Amino acid sequence: MTSPAIHIQGLRKTYVVSEREAGVKATLQSLVHRNTEEVPAVDGISFDLEPGEVVGFLGPNGAGKTTTLKCLSGLLHPTAGEVTVLGYHPWKRGKAFLRQITLVMGQRNQLVWDIPPLDSFELNRAIYRIPLSDYRRMLDELTELLDLGPLLRKPVRNLSLGERMKCEIAAALLHRPQVVFLDEPTIGLDVTMQRRIRSFIAEYNRRFGATVLLTSHYMADVVALCRRVVVIHHGRLLFDGELSRLVQDFTAHKTIVVQLEDTRANLRSYGDVISQDEGQYTLRVPKADTARITGRLLADLPVIDLLVEDPPIEEVIEVVFAQELR
Amino acid sequence: MSDLAALYLQQFKTTFASMLQYRASLVIWMIGHVLEPLVYLIVWSTVSVSVGGAVGGYSTQQFAGYFIVLMLVNHVTFAWIMWEYEYRIREGTLSAALLKPVHPIHADIADNVSSKLITLPLMLLIAGGLATLFHPQLAPQWWAMVAAVPALFLAFLVRFLVEWCLAQAAFWTTRVTAVNQVYFVLLLFLSGQIAPLTLFPHAIQVAAAFLPFRWMIGFPVELLLGRLSLTETLVGLGAQAVWVVVCYFLLKVVWNAGVRIYTAVGA
Amino acid sequence: MSYLRMLGVFLRVSIMGEMAYRVNFFVQLFQSLLELGTAIAGLAVIFSYTDSLGGWRPDEVLALVGVYILVGGMIGFAIQPGMSLLIESVRDGMLDFTLVKPVDAQVMISVQQVEIWKLIDIVLGLAVLGVALARLGEHVGGGQAAAFVAMLLAGAVIIYSFWLVLATLSFWFVRVENILEIFNSMYQAGRWPISLYPGWLRFILSFIVPVAFAVTVPAEALTGRLTAGTLLGAVALAVVLFVGSRLFWLIGLRRYSGTSA
Repeated sequence: MTSPAIHIQGLRKTYVVSEREAGVKATLQSLVHRNTEEVPAVDGISFDLEPGEVVGFLGPNGAGKTTTLKCLSGLLHPTAGEVTVLGYHPWKRGKAFLRQITLVMGQRNQLVWDIPPLDSFELNRAIYRIPLSDYRRMLDELTELLDLGPLLRKPVRNLSLGERMKCEIAAALLHRPQVVFLDEPTIGLDVTMQRRIRSFIAEYNRRFGATVLLTSHYMADVVALCRRVVVIHHGRLLFDGELSRLVQDFTAHKTIVVQLEDTRANLRSYGDVISQDEGQYTLRVPKADTARITGRLLADLPVIDLLVEDPPIEEVIEVVFAQELR
Repeated sequence: MSDLAALYLQQFKTTFASMLQYRASLVIWMIGHVLEPLVYLIVWSTVSVSVGGAVGGYSTQQFAGYFIVLMLVNHVTFAWIMWEYEYRIREGTLSAALLKPVHPIHADIADNVSSKLITLPLMLLIAGGLATLFHPQLAPQWWAMVAAVPALFLAFLVRFLVEWCLAQAAFWTTRVTAVNQVYFVLLLFLSGQIAPLTLFPHAIQVAAAFLPFRWMIGFPVELLLGRLSLTETLVGLGAQAVWVVVCYFLLKVVWNAGVRIYTAVGA
Repeated sequence: MSYLRMLGVFLRVSIMGEMAYRVNFFVQLFQSLLELGTAIAGLAVIFSYTDSLGGWRPDEVLALVGVYILVGGMIGFAIQPGMSLLIESVRDGMLDFTLVKPVDAQVMISVQQVEIWKLIDIVLGLAVLGVALARLGEHVGGGQAAAFVAMLLAGAVIIYSFWLVLATLSFWFVRVENILEIFNSMYQAGRWPISLYPGWLRFILSFIVPVAFAVTVPAEALTGRLTAGTLLGAVALAVVLFVGSRLFWLIGLRRYSGTSA
């Protein structure tokens, strides 16, 4: 029984926020006394990752994903609980620990703007003290896997967002980290590039056996890469298990958004009415019944507009949350 | 007209609230405004003492008076707008100002004046402190004190309008720092900031009379020191008025040209 | 020494990055020459009325101006860019990426950015210094030269530590971008020998905002005015401030990882 690559037990992280109301009086008051409040970003979570696992970390904005990631990479000191990564305490920020991890954040540039990525790579080589031969070998592999050839010598500012992201990821992996933290790596990218990056991550994990913790807004990222997902909401774990189980819930429903003239129609016979606002009704229906119910709606009612879509992730979380309560 | 007054009042309130947030910036501005005239005060006092008590018609105490008054006049008339415009254009926030039915200069003036309402008391305190340390000598005539009011007001207007036009350079170049630097060098020498203008060679004094810089700072300072005759005062006030008019037209031209460029490029 | 190698790479990266903007060379040259012209014109006005300023001869004050420009260039080249970057990184969270790297964060962020064209000021300052010393006709002995270099280095360490303390304040106060301007607005006082200033101002310029140690003290070394006391004091202050600023930085880091989300 190998020890887990990542071990989290009862992790809590609260931070202190100061508030101030508007108006001159409050402004003057704030000079003397600041109103502070303690906000729990992460409120007691526990899970482990075995070496080589690729786990998806899901949750809406503000759920605590980024805070957890920062605790794992040593950027934040936990308020309570136990965290170890590869046997190290991340918050000690030991050099040996830092050399084995990497953090990639979507839409955040670490590459130096005005020069070709290759020179930023050289920087990382110096920072991580990568032996020349290892560096060259890794660079070749990454170039092949990510199709970096024509990009390496163009200044970063001349690259498209997707090309930049590929180079950012490559730069982050040059030192062959054993643990990879990816925070929204595909955000803002077009669909083709998202797919490219997903397949790269899968291939990287296969080739080098790295443990990957991936946070994302997009179910598609998680579906492509992760057998297991951990769902977090309001700082608490809602779900930790096989993706197939979560996917079952997720794809069990579809959302139909209908626009009618009548602002007070009763559509309960068609499905769960999630919201009703100025003639726009949002219904949740079982996936299998989508076509049938859509047909009924169009036949029965004077529909102005109709849209069928997957439920947003926030809703999935609500569903999971509701399920957990049961 | 009451709309304009309401705008100014609202700008005062907004500036007041944000000033308290940015307390550090306030202090930093003021450090420079106190230190520069103070340094020249000390330098010229040193020179004056070493050559027997007076230089070019200014005794050591009169130098003290000159630079302390200069410190206050400079603070009353200064603006930072030439840095703001570069920021606004770069960040695109200028677009919001262009959509408003009021010329943006009013908000800028209001912001400038309301900031000074907060800092001026402190500056007066510092001036008082410096006065006890350096024993300045001033001898303004009673009518000079009266004339100082329009003189200061016009000085502020001339300086603000000129510097507002300077700020529009941001429409044409990103090298705003270099442009501003040229302006500040001219201001340093030709407005009386580095030394009373009478200490300069005659040619420079003549040039200074035909440029706006003296009328922004040097003139009100000399007036408050009591060093000007009534005729000189009246001529000076006239020169200030002329420059205000000139700047008004210059402003219109520069602003319209700048906006044309800004909107052509894509706001 | 891998830190040296890292420094070398950062330098190379900075140079390459700036090479794309060659116009900046000319702009900086223009601004530096304008600054120099202003200083000399100012001197000309003052010395048209006297030939000694607080015991300093015109060419000695010119040497002071040379040191002023030289040190200003050193600050602009190596110290200001790093400390500005530090403040910005704290504000926009990019400091996280530095903290995740296996290098000392203070070292990395201090060397990460240099303002290449400020080398012009360093060259210009040395040139002015050279001219001033030549006009003085004095031969700068080995001892004086060594003292000068030592005081220059001590001054650089003192200023770096001071700027680091200012920049570290950004861990506590958010709107602190302007704080580095405190030094710049007081630096202008260094253009004149601080012996001119009254005691309280000399104190402020020595121990609160260390302009004196940046400019006047090295200039004193070159013009034979440096006392052993000042020399030892400068070195001692440099050591104390270097250690102190590092401790303050570590405290700031602890706060950053304690309360940021």
